[in-house]
Amino acid sequence: MRLALRNLLHDPTRFVVTSLGVAFAVFLMIFQGSLLIGFFGAAAKVIDATDTDLWIAPRGVVCFDFAATLDSRFREIAQGISGVESVNPISVNFVGYQIPDGQHRTVVLIGADPKVGLRFPLPYLPDSGGALEPEAILVDETNVPELEIDAVPSAVEINGRRAHIAGIVHGFSSFLGSPYVFASYDDAARYSRLGRQRAAYLTVRVARGYDVAAVKDKLALELPEVDVWTHAQFERRSQWYWVGKTGAGAAILTAAVLAFLIGLVLVSQTIYATTMEHLEEFATLKALGASKRFTAKIVLTQALVFCAMGGVVGVGSAIPVVKLAQNAVAWIYTPLWLVPVVLLPSLLMCMLASITSIRTALSVEPAKVFRV
Amino acid sequence: MSDCILSVHGVHVTMGTGETSVRALSDVSLSFPAGAVTLIMGPSGSGKTTLLAVLGCLLKPQVGSVMVNGTDVTAAGEEERARIRRDQIGFIFQSFRLFKALTAVENAMLAMEISGKKGPQVRAQAERILENLGLSEKRHLKPDELSGGEKQRVAIARVLMREPKIILADEPTASLDSQAGERITRILRDIAEEQQRTVVMVSHDEWLARFAEKVVGMHDGKVVEPPI
Repeated sequence: MRLALRNLLHDPTRFVVTSLGVAFAVFLMIFQGSLLIGFFGAAAKVIDATDTDLWIAPRGVVCFDFAATLDSRFREIAQGISGVESVNPISVNFVGYQIPDGQHRTVVLIGADPKVGLRFPLPYLPDSGGALEPEAILVDETNVPELEIDAVPSAVEINGRRAHIAGIVHGFSSFLGSPYVFASYDDAARYSRLGRQRAAYLTVRVARGYDVAAVKDKLALELPEVDVWTHAQFERRSQWYWVGKTGAGAAILTAAVLAFLIGLVLVSQTIYATTMEHLEEFATLKALGASKRFTAKIVLTQALVFCAMGGVVGVGSAIPVVKLAQNAVAWIYTPLWLVPVVLLPSLLMCMLASITSIRTALSVEPAKVFRV
Repeated sequence: MSDCILSVHGVHVTMGTGETSVRALSDVSLSFPAGAVTLIMGPSGSGKTTLLAVLGCLLKPQVGSVMVNGTDVTAAGEEERARIRRDQIGFIFQSFRLFKALTAVENAMLAMEISGKKGPQVRAQAERILENLGLSEKRHLKPDELSGGEKQRVAIARVLMREPKIILADEPTASLDSQAGERITRILRDIAEEQQRTVVMVSHDEWLARFAEKVVGMHDGKVVEPPI
């Protein structure tokens, strides 16, 4: 396919411009995809940090952040159901947060005990075998400037009660505008002034040998006033609430879809334009007896080269830009699998675009060659 | 001169439809001898280029038959006609129709690559033919770096790569100065005579007649005697 490649390189400006068109489409898709995936991840980050099997939530709660409170009797009932190994509460409350210079912030205070999972951010005492530090809180690194944290530990007040920042965690940035603050369940209950009995959620660990779905059904039967979700169901429920039911999520989703469509149009247009530019040559090839396959291979090769070049440049530029964007949008995230997921549709786009071009190239009238 | 392998019988070609349709060829019957140059002459719009397109299996006549090496190509499908063009017909165009991105030798090689043949042997063959045509020094130049005469010789090299029995040349000298034009015409005549090929040239240039064994005149889509 020397002709296909030489034709591309013969006009380096056009080649660069076309490749950049594809690169821009790939960049858009990676960036918007990273926003969408990051948003999905952030919407369920705290749920994901637990490793319990089931969640008991107040009826109708749509996502983790907008919680209500559960009556304490639900915990006792749940504990008595066969197959339930343990029931552990989690509290979620918007509370006042005051830094030493007197400035106020509103934060989302999340309280839990170690039994919800070892990945859950809690202020563990060093070398204590899992004991939590009293009056200690953790904040995410992205919220350090907003909460004006100069040093760790440092003293603050939550709802007028003394607390100290015991550590900084990573990857728990909230997109609500109010930072997440993590504390032990008891401290959180005290700070929120709701007391230990008023949990937002009950996380349930199913005993070994029991079927999670069956235990879930039993819980739902025994606790008709609440919702019972599996870990995955509650994650999805939270994610789809933010993506599907809020303006922010819908905007990101729309932008991601638009990025894909813009990419499709860009790639199609550029590849089609390249084919049209060489229509006379395709007529000559046909006159010389080139088969349809030979002609199609030229167009397809060119499309694939554009895709490869655009893909490399697009991915190569999107990843550092996403990293840079994390300074402003902490939860934006590019998982490795997004690269093939974007490149495959890009390849598909290039091939689809080339089909139109191939049809044009194949339908060119060979007798055209006799016209000057 | 030997047997003829190219002929048309009772060919009619109409371009367009309805009131705007134009009869481009009307009851044309001709045969073209091998080992000789046939020159088709006539004013613009006389149908000579249309006849060349019909002879080259690029255009199907509505009526009549076109015999190429014993086969009536009017019955052949598109891919079959492409194969006939690939195997048996070489084209030389007024505007050369070389590929700008390829060098002279690559342009010549392309004729074989279309047939799926490539490699050092094909390159050696292309270089040999270019050398015979006096283009050895310029084989690595692209069309934009060649003169009109040189471009046409590269186009001839592309034709010779596949050793077609039939060579169809559309105004091969029209874009050249008289010296280059004469050189190209001599080359084509020599090819016809020495390699027993059927060469059909379409031209306005009357001086080409001295290189042709047969001259056919055309006017308003019909063969006329003597040529106008």
